[in-house]
Amino acid sequence: MNPTAYAWLILAFPLAGSIVLALGWRIWPGRAAGWIGTGTIALSFLATIGALLQVLDHPVEERQFTDTLYSYASVAGLKIDVNVLVDPLSIYMCLVITGISTMIHLYSIGYMTTDRGFTRFFSYLNFFVFSMLLLILAGNLILLVVGWAFVGYASYALISFWYRRGTATKAGMKAFVINVFGDVGLILAAFFIFRELGTFDLLDIFSGARDSFTTNQSVAVTICLLLLVGAFAKSAQLPLHTWLPDAMEGPTPVSSLIHAATMVTAGVYLIARFFPLFELAPTAADIAAFTGLATAFVAATIALVVTDLKRIIAYSTMSQIGYMVIGVSIGAYSAGLFHLMTHAFFKALLFMAAGSVIGAMANRQNIDKMGGFRRAMPFTCVTLIIGALSLAAFPGTAGFFSKDEILVFAAERGGMYWIFTVGGYIVAFMTAIYAFRIGFRVAYGEAVEEAKELEGGHLHHAEPANPATGELEDTDVGFPGPEHNIAERSWPMRIAMSVLAFGALFAGWIQVPGIDDVVHNFLEGSFYSSSLYNLEIPNSAAYLGMIVGGTLSTLGILVAYWLYLVRPGTTAALQRRLRGLHGFLEHKWYFDELIDLLVVRPALATGRFANNVFERYVVQGIVVGVTDVVRGAGAVVRGAQSGFLRSYALLMVTGFAALGLYFLLQAS
Amino acid sequence: MIQILLWLPLAAGLVACLAPRRLTPMVATAGALGALVLALALLADFDPNAAGLQQVVDESWIPDLGVRYQLGIDGISIFLVVMTTVLWLAATAYSAIRTPDRPKTYFLMMGLGQTATLGAFLAQDLLLFVLFFDLMLLPMYFLIGGWGEGEGRVQATIKMIVYTLVGSLLMLVGAVATAVLVADGGQLSFSMADLRANVLPEDSQDWIFWFFAAAFLVKMPAFLVHGWMSDAYRAAPLPVLVCLSGVLAKVGAYGFLRIVLPTFPDATVQFQEVLLVIALASILYGSVMAFTQTEARLIAGYSSIAQLGFITLGIFTLRPDAANGAVLQMVNHGLVVAGVFLIFAVISERTGSSDITKLGGLASRAPVLAVLFLIVTMATLAIPGSSNFIGETYILIGAFQDKVVYAVIAFAGVVMAAYYALRMYQRTMHNRLPDGLESREISFGPGVIIGGLVACIVTLAVYPNLILKRSDDSVTATVAAAKQQDVDLAARTSETSP
Repeated sequence: MNPTAYAWLILAFPLAGSIVLALGWRIWPGRAAGWIGTGTIALSFLATIGALLQVLDHPVEERQFTDTLYSYASVAGLKIDVNVLVDPLSIYMCLVITGISTMIHLYSIGYMTTDRGFTRFFSYLNFFVFSMLLLILAGNLILLVVGWAFVGYASYALISFWYRRGTATKAGMKAFVINVFGDVGLILAAFFIFRELGTFDLLDIFSGARDSFTTNQSVAVTICLLLLVGAFAKSAQLPLHTWLPDAMEGPTPVSSLIHAATMVTAGVYLIARFFPLFELAPTAADIAAFTGLATAFVAATIALVVTDLKRIIAYSTMSQIGYMVIGVSIGAYSAGLFHLMTHAFFKALLFMAAGSVIGAMANRQNIDKMGGFRRAMPFTCVTLIIGALSLAAFPGTAGFFSKDEILVFAAERGGMYWIFTVGGYIVAFMTAIYAFRIGFRVAYGEAVEEAKELEGGHLHHAEPANPATGELEDTDVGFPGPEHNIAERSWPMRIAMSVLAFGALFAGWIQVPGIDDVVHNFLEGSFYSSSLYNLEIPNSAAYLGMIVGGTLSTLGILVAYWLYLVRPGTTAALQRRLRGLHGFLEHKWYFDELIDLLVVRPALATGRFANNVFERYVVQGIVVGVTDVVRGAGAVVRGAQSGFLRSYALLMVTGFAALGLYFLLQAS
Repeated sequence: MIQILLWLPLAAGLVACLAPRRLTPMVATAGALGALVLALALLADFDPNAAGLQQVVDESWIPDLGVRYQLGIDGISIFLVVMTTVLWLAATAYSAIRTPDRPKTYFLMMGLGQTATLGAFLAQDLLLFVLFFDLMLLPMYFLIGGWGEGEGRVQATIKMIVYTLVGSLLMLVGAVATAVLVADGGQLSFSMADLRANVLPEDSQDWIFWFFAAAFLVKMPAFLVHGWMSDAYRAAPLPVLVCLSGVLAKVGAYGFLRIVLPTFPDATVQFQEVLLVIALASILYGSVMAFTQTEARLIAGYSSIAQLGFITLGIFTLRPDAANGAVLQMVNHGLVVAGVFLIFAVISERTGSSDITKLGGLASRAPVLAVLFLIVTMATLAIPGSSNFIGETYILIGAFQDKVVYAVIAFAGVVMAAYYALRMYQRTMHNRLPDGLESREISFGPGVIIGGLVACIVTLAVYPNLILKRSDDSVTATVAAAKQQDVDLAARTSETSP
């Protein structure tokens, strides 16, 4: 079978799953919907492996395949088909997406068991995966935009999944609108590309760009900057990131899906996919890299102070995506994408463990209220610590190898790129601290009441309330708890978490400097034309980087140990001493307020002005003017009119009839 | 066939009027269904590779005045005709389920309205077009005035009549003037083909252009002449609004393509920028207004102003790509806005309100209604993957090639649409259920009607080429006429300037 045939299968399974689940919402008994949903994604994963094996049969420089299903909208000089592009990059992404998503689906079977929206949830989840795969496999820019927007919609649907919650619907709206803003950036980029190159097909764009653009030509830079608007909105980079922390309103598996396998990685993919353009527009690539670094830093500082368990992990995602953006922007494509994969493992795992903990806490998410779960929930705590170790890039874990590769590449590229190395290591140090802020706070310390209760064999129950506002939940539609599941009591959750924990520990070993280069060699089929791809990195530099990274990580964990376990009062003292800074970070650098001031309020004010002033006085003024004139004229012939509706009507009918009659007579 | 299609709805309306009261709604619905079947037969018969008119009927009517009874169909009108029959069937069937008072007159007026609208789309004689165009007004006047809601309905109808009548009269004058000036003392002819073949001198075109533009802009309605819209939309019965907003508004945009561009090419080029500015103003103003409204009818109404702004932008970009997008978008918008109004007909029937601040949380017991509404919402905001997106893409990419600034500004409308459309959905279906409201599933009849509309929307989303491939040749030929003038004009100015 052709690799592209597999690609159609990869897309078909989740789409079919989503539709079948939706249509049969009343039929599926028990947890059948969950198994159907998980099964389709697993099948998609198998199809990806099929495509992978096919592609490996071809020589490295002949591993790009396209196939057209039908002509979608092609007239008047535009050519938009439904076509796919299968190459090592898209297969790699599909492997990560379908692989991790299968585990997340499996986890959800346990986690969402008692939710009333069980079937709806899996239908959305399948649609989300389908959208993401469409984005990845799209062979032309318009189809890519379609997948891109579907991902935005799917995230909206899942974030506001518990739609009776005011905070959830608001968060969904925010995510959607910011994403549409990003879509517009992407569409404008597509328009520019079409105007310059006359095509939407990705491969034609890349070859066309090489022929017609010169380095740093302004139009190339413009296109790349517009692409970045799209990428930043999807990947939650500054300043379009504000939707991501709010997206925590969705059920925890959704956070896991958005942060690990789908959605936020789309921006990284986009930059990597358009590397021929970015290499022709180094200015734009540098802007991207600096934004990535700034995001990594800002997010890490916020993650040090917020107290909501899921939000800490959310900010860590932003920060880690920042690394990936640095990677793919400075030319470390394989390293950036490698980090994308390892991150998917440990981030999905962290969210799953957090979900389990939140279940035990009866839906409360404040880490200040948690502690000492290690005896009550040994499995959850072990996986949580594994996730935290990998996030902190502890030597030997998956995150360790991938993060270092990006930073060492930056150093080797020389020039000003050393900034990314230094900045990256600083952020890495902070990452280790907040990773273990979670780990130590939740697993160690004195056991809280909920933990003790659980040790006694009883899962804590409470009135379902919104963790953000304390408002009681409307239990009419699904809501999280009180029949919440914890991993200790649900084997699908345990299996999913075990698989991911294995990956978080060992996935890094497929690419170790000086030993093996699996990811790099495989992706060469997509990036062989890049001049930066085979930048030689001496092993000595790689090992030096690993030593620095390992040391910083260990130091960070020790600092966290000291702050949260040895001297638990220190953080409070620090907060008091640095009140200004703490407040600044707690308000997340005031980004929300800034956007509110610059965008939301002016827009609303314009709307109010249009409604209250313009419409009332100008537009209706015209109406009054016109009617006055007519009335004035009407006064002259008032005798002929009675002013009643029926008489008007009668008059018109007779008038028309007479007119018609006249013409008919004329005609004959 | 084209003749039967044109007169069938009126005939059905008359029969319905004479039939026993019990059968009236059924007869009317059968008539609308018959019209749809005929329209589909026309579509099946349609040759997509021919740019010219098909199914031509050409009879002499008033020889003294040179008026001919001339009908025909081409790539521009074929899908508008199909859409008209789809929407009228939906509106008639919905009215049949919830039979209104005085059903006989009601359904007669609906039939008359459909015949008039189809006539406007089919007419190939300018005076015939004007006649049908004005005839459309009559049933709307009765339907809104007689079956409308609220105290202000009489006021609203009068306002609408005054606005549109002023436009119509100007157009009538313009039509007569065109024919007289073209004839230049010879035999009068109102046939569009003749008028197209003998283009007026530029200075006459300039003023007649505005007579027609006034009529069409009011009908759409466009920015600054939309004063009648808010009251009429508030007062009209929702099924009537389906026809008014979904179809009648399109006749205005269609008129530009069918008459203004080919008949007044010099003036079109001359005033291109003015119309583009009006289009842009409509997009921005409509969008801004849509997101401050709380009444769903007005959200949809102002969003229609914005959408017709996009369509006008597409037409007056004077490029085949943008104009194809405009034709596609006319059909898309008709389907979508019909969906919105019928959904709110269902909702307000139960809750007594279509004010989104008084609604909420209706999705829980009504998953089917929620899904239908959701698809309509997503199409309204032109999510990529919908046919509306392809329509907008064609319009904007055309504008982008020649008029970058307009295209870029128009994108603001795209972003705002995301907000106001989703807000309308969310405030209705999500959040808490207000006290006293009950969430109930849509019943079978309305479900089938709205489901049918949604099926059309989804079909087009999967395969927009269905329309584009048929519209392309006719649209390109129409635009080429104006474009030719543009080239001539440029040549002339470059000759004179040195």
